Amino acid sequence: MPSPLAVEVRALSKTYEVHERPPGLAAALRSVFRRTYKTVHAVTDLSFTVEPGERVGFLGPNGAGKTTTLKMLSGLLHPTSGEARVAGYVPRKREAGFLKKITLVMGQKQQLLWDLPPADTFTMNRAIYEVSDADFAETMAELNELLSLGEIMKKPTRQLSLGERMKCELAAALLHRPQVLFLDEPTIGLDVAMQLTVREFIRRYNERRGATVLLTSHYMDDVASLCPRVVVIDQGRLRYDGDLPSLVRSIRPDKRVALRFSGTADRAAIERAGKIVEFDAARAVIQVAQVDLREAVGHLLGLAWVSDLTIEDPPLEEVMRDLFSASKAAAAEEAAGA
Amino acid sequence: MSALQDLGRAARAYPTLLRVGLAEAVAYRAEMLVWMLTTTMPLVSLALWSAVAETAPVGRFTQQGFAAYFLATLLVRQLTGSWLVWELNQDIRSGMLSRRLLRPIHPLIGYSATNLAAIPLRAALIAPPAIVWLLVLEPGAFPRTPLTLITAALSIVGAWLINFFIMALIGSIAFYLESSTAIFDLWMVGFMLLSGYLVPLELFPAGLRAVAHALPFRYVLAFPVEILTGLLRDDQGDAILRELGIQWLYVIGAGSAAIAAFNTGVRRFSAFGG
Amino acid sequence: MMLRYLRLLAVELRISLVLGMQYRWNFVIDGLVSLLWTVLGLVPLYVAFHARPEIAGWTYATALIVVGWFSLLKGILDGAINPSLLTVVDQIRQGTLDFVLLKPADAQFLVSTAKFEPWKVLNGLAALIIFTHAFRLLGRTPSALQVLASLGLLACATLVLYSIWILVIAAAFWVVRLDNLAYLFNSVFDFARWPVTVFRGALRLVFTFVIPLGVMTTYPAEALLGTLSLRTGLLSMAGALTFALVSRAVWTRAIGRYTSASS
Repeated sequence: MPSPLAVEVRALSKTYEVHERPPGLAAALRSVFRRTYKTVHAVTDLSFTVEPGERVGFLGPNGAGKTTTLKMLSGLLHPTSGEARVAGYVPRKREAGFLKKITLVMGQKQQLLWDLPPADTFTMNRAIYEVSDADFAETMAELNELLSLGEIMKKPTRQLSLGERMKCELAAALLHRPQVLFLDEPTIGLDVAMQLTVREFIRRYNERRGATVLLTSHYMDDVASLCPRVVVIDQGRLRYDGDLPSLVRSIRPDKRVALRFSGTADRAAIERAGKIVEFDAARAVIQVAQVDLREAVGHLLGLAWVSDLTIEDPPLEEVMRDLFSASKAAAAEEAAGA
Repeated sequence: MSALQDLGRAARAYPTLLRVGLAEAVAYRAEMLVWMLTTTMPLVSLALWSAVAETAPVGRFTQQGFAAYFLATLLVRQLTGSWLVWELNQDIRSGMLSRRLLRPIHPLIGYSATNLAAIPLRAALIAPPAIVWLLVLEPGAFPRTPLTLITAALSIVGAWLINFFIMALIGSIAFYLESSTAIFDLWMVGFMLLSGYLVPLELFPAGLRAVAHALPFRYVLAFPVEILTGLLRDDQGDAILRELGIQWLYVIGAGSAAIAAFNTGVRRFSAFGG
Repeated sequence: MMLRYLRLLAVELRISLVLGMQYRWNFVIDGLVSLLWTVLGLVPLYVAFHARPEIAGWTYATALIVVGWFSLLKGILDGAINPSLLTVVDQIRQGTLDFVLLKPADAQFLVSTAKFEPWKVLNGLAALIIFTHAFRLLGRTPSALQVLASLGLLACATLVLYSIWILVIAAAFWVVRLDNLAYLFNSVFDFARWPVTVFRGALRLVFTFVIPLGVMTTYPAEALLGTLSLRTGLLSMAGALTFALVSRAVWTRAIGRYTSASS
């Protein structure tokens, strides 16, 4: 009975041996004859499951192990230990059936043939994935509609802009209608409009086809707008698995209150409501604990020179930074204690 | 005045560049090993032509003569080899050249440092036994007087310079075409044969020999080799000096062409954003 | 399944042709290089064999046949094997080999068919011309059986050459910078224009068993001349097949250990 889960990961780990290269000529010469190796624990003891059709965002600082995880799930890397199952298959075996069901898009690398139009890459992928003519026509029509590819398919890839290339890259990756999408920083380097386009596309593709989406990104907006569920990986370990609002609340239970003034502001009066984060002649932002919010807002609204007031969550970037520095401190403690 | 200042700056930075060049060269052990193996091909030629000359000498080359010739070829190749074409192609394609362009030193100077830094390392293993063997084989032929030693040294330096500049010239073509390795293949065909790498030039049929003497390939390898093995005798002093002059004319020619091509190429590179 | 891979091969060939048309200069220069190489490559042979005593049983005319096979094999090497395998080295360095491994087709096949240089077919033509000239000098023509035998050995030679390359590429999974390895290989391969028996002692052993230049050019030449013993021929075929299996095994292991370049 095939597993109903799209992705199943248990105690997954990956370690590398990396040769240390200290600087300087003497060290370089020595390394010709004797090398010292360092063990890097890229991923340690990762466990989670993903239901079909879910959209999950992977967050974490650089080098956290997010890309390594995606590569293990797509069969590119063999795990050092632990188990993984994707769409019922063991990724490591790289069976044809498995490879036809998944796709991996890497924002910083491309599979499009550089000197030829994307259309030629599509033709090649069609032959490799054995996509029938009928299916191909239908899929291309849909992708064309969602991505508005138009004529750019016919220009050599090297002549396309970064955004156009990404669109064609997505098309090439999806023309075999995979059920599980691994997206590694798909919006990196794109302008804001293109980021929105890509996000919209991913959402609609997921809704229309029920494809499972595992996404990593440094842009919090990607994750916030696309992924109801967030997995935080830091230093190779799972730190959090759940929805984003809960995560934010657990790290920064404070809210931010933004004020606009008409007339001179009394700084002391504002300070009574909460901690000042920003303050200038026209506006201020203060941080208020959730519990004190009602009282603070009431007090602020009573001030005559406050013309506007909004309540916001703290910026995601700051929340993440807090999360990662906390876990770094925790890891340092562990290391010191060990 | 500024050109002189540039040169001065380059000269002061050169020792550091050499050190960095050496570190880069040893960073990839396998690559270093492969380079060393590649430059030992003359030893296979040695075995081959010794076998050919077993029954009868070829021209004035006996088995010993061939052995000396190819040992000298090995030595000169070790001392003058360069892989600049590959480096340039890669740096241009990947855009890494920009990094070099930001430095206040001409990129070619940096490349030359990497090249020179690697030579002692590679030659260290092979040069001493080769020189010893050469002395044993043809004791009378190896240059002994200060004058001949200086001419030999100059011819080797000249060979390295021509090789380096031609590589820079060909590498610069990568600024215009997608890659210049195809043109480099063309040069290599010419080099393998017409520089005396595969066969001593004087064994060629007369027509081809004349062609070989007119082309620069000879001055990258055969000329220094012939001095080291005494094929160009001391008593033909005039001939040696004349050939030396021709070689250094080629050095100046190749150098100017390379620097000009490189500089124009760089302008194009910057214009198109790499 | 065979049919599917044949269809894939057709697609890859077509793409290489289209690419080739794009870079016309490279096309022309490639043709020139092949031509020059073949012609100039005859000079050392001429110097060694022409109007001279036999060397290890070979005369100028019979040695020419070895050169003919060398020319043909070089065409196969430069036209069908080198281009795609050099592409792989580049892909490993840039990390785009990942995409090859993600495709539901055999990675070794995809990697071996990534790029062709159709212009190198000219080498085959050069080989035919050399054969014709050599047999004219000998004053006879090879029998049909001899031609067949030599074609069989050509297949062995191609298989051995290809397997060596796969081993080299497998090494690239461990050691990333390998472009000069192609250069080394081509330098060594150049000695295949000589009959292997000219080499003596340790070198002959190396060229017969380690980098079997003997199998690649000398044996097909002997087959065409009718001097190849059946035993040697059969041993060569067995050796070629074993080599191919070994290289496949090494390749599979290398893929297993592959760590892609950092994201």
